[in-house]
Amino acid sequence: MLKINHFSNAILSEINFHLKEGENLILLGSNGAGKSTLAKVACGILYSNKVELFGEKLELLHAKKRAELINYIPPKLEIFDDYISLKEYLELSRLHSSLHVDEVISLLNLDTLADKPCKTLSSGEQQLTMLASSILHGAKLTIFDEPTANLDPKKTLQVYEMLKSDVIKNRIIITHDLNLVHKLGYKILYMQEGEVEFFDENKKFFEASNLEKLFGSSIKHIDGYFVVNI
Amino acid sequence: MKYIFIILSIALLLTAPFFGQIELHLFNINYTASMDYKLFWDLRLPRIIVAFFTGALLGLSGLIFQSLFRNPMSTPFTLGVASGATLGSAFAIVFGFVTLVPIFGFFGALLTIAILFSIASKIKGYDTSSLLLVGIALSFFYSASLMILFYLSSQSQSYEILRFTMGSLDVVGIRDTVPVIVVSILLLFISLQYKKEIKLLLTSYDNAFLKGVEVRKINTILLVSVSIAIGVAVSITGPIGFVGLIVPHILKAIYKKSADKLLLITFFYSGIFLVGCDLIARNLGTASDVPIGVVTSFLGAPFFIYLIIKREKR
Repeated sequence: MLKINHFSNAILSEINFHLKEGENLILLGSNGAGKSTLAKVACGILYSNKVELFGEKLELLHAKKRAELINYIPPKLEIFDDYISLKEYLELSRLHSSLHVDEVISLLNLDTLADKPCKTLSSGEQQLTMLASSILHGAKLTIFDEPTANLDPKKTLQVYEMLKSDVIKNRIIITHDLNLVHKLGYKILYMQEGEVEFFDENKKFFEASNLEKLFGSSIKHIDGYFVVNI
Repeated sequence: MKYIFIILSIALLLTAPFFGQIELHLFNINYTASMDYKLFWDLRLPRIIVAFFTGALLGLSGLIFQSLFRNPMSTPFTLGVASGATLGSAFAIVFGFVTLVPIFGFFGALLTIAILFSIASKIKGYDTSSLLLVGIALSFFYSASLMILFYLSSQSQSYEILRFTMGSLDVVGIRDTVPVIVVSILLLFISLQYKKEIKLLLTSYDNAFLKGVEVRKINTILLVSVSIAIGVAVSITGPIGFVGLIVPHILKAIYKKSADKLLLITFFYSGIFLVGCDLIARNLGTASDVPIGVVTSFLGAPFFIYLIIKREKR
């Protein structure tokens, strides 16, 4: 599904992995490890000729075909236009979904915000707007960059339910939330200083020895939950 | 309110030809032997047409540039295309090709576009901001070249160049209006054709890219179209400042809508704005018409500042 062959740039070095069809992935790593950079390489925002998507070379794909295969949801909604409303934004995002804009708006309880300009939404509301846009885009593979950052517990739960549901096809999720990682149970790629440090099954990642190796004593395991050890 | 503005605008368009240093009478303009007939069909009407379509073209170009460059300060002249046209025209004046001024002007503009995009294509993965910087550098280079031409020219030639840079809507006969009409309508058509892409580009370049827009291709198509249109307009009327900068801003402040919904509105009201300015320029009671660029700036600048203050207060 996604294959990156020995990619290096100023931030990443020798990234080389292969994600099979139907496999979802969690991308972990400390701040500045290169997770977002890797995501941008995988979706083509940063040019490279080392990426293969569903058996085809990314740089040779037609723009429309590429949009059908991959989408990237950044950590923050960046928008230049002062006046575009949430609904208009979602209408622009609808490409390959069988769901309609109004259905997705009510699915995420955004009805009261539909006519508000995107720029005036709160960061949590913008986060939900981007999630809605990813559903409507309907790419075969979607990369979410910290989809639960800056969310209150209620919205975090809402996003979590969506992320694991089948309204999204295949997904790669970048996050720092180990509980989310543990509950989702997807395969994990852990990055450190631009390199792949760990790439294996979820279970293996959460083995005590591995956690100790990657996080030292900063993570504690209490009753099935992972908390920061303060 | 919207309809009142449209009706007022159309009334302005219909009555504008009749006012000037010599007032015309409606019933005389069909009488071929009269002075009014000649004045109306050969001078006034072509002038109104050129004013409308030049204004429309400048305003629409400004709107497109401000959207693509993400820069509220960019005008249709930002990329140096107008300076190129001015330089070409000045060259024609100084080296004795006075009858060919518009053609030299147009080639000056075309040459600029060619230089601009050949430099841009050498920059790996160029974006609009590097294009903007190259355009600004070119403008400075052209101003210096224009100074050399001034230095080489006689007094009367200098005056002619200066007069050109102030902008003028003097045209004789309907035939002269055809190029401006054609390019402005083509530009309107092209921009409407890419309305959805413009809308996506206005969210963010990355978002447009992810939604399958060929960002670089669309940018290039729009920028080249605007540049060619500006080249044609400037070679006929000279660089008329401020229309392309302020009219889109004023309309955005009034309508509070995204740029993609203002394409047609900007086209129409920029045209009306220039017709209005021209009407004032022709009726100030001075011995000759006040240069149109002076009127657009005199009217536009204070109103623009007023709008900015009002917006900041909100």
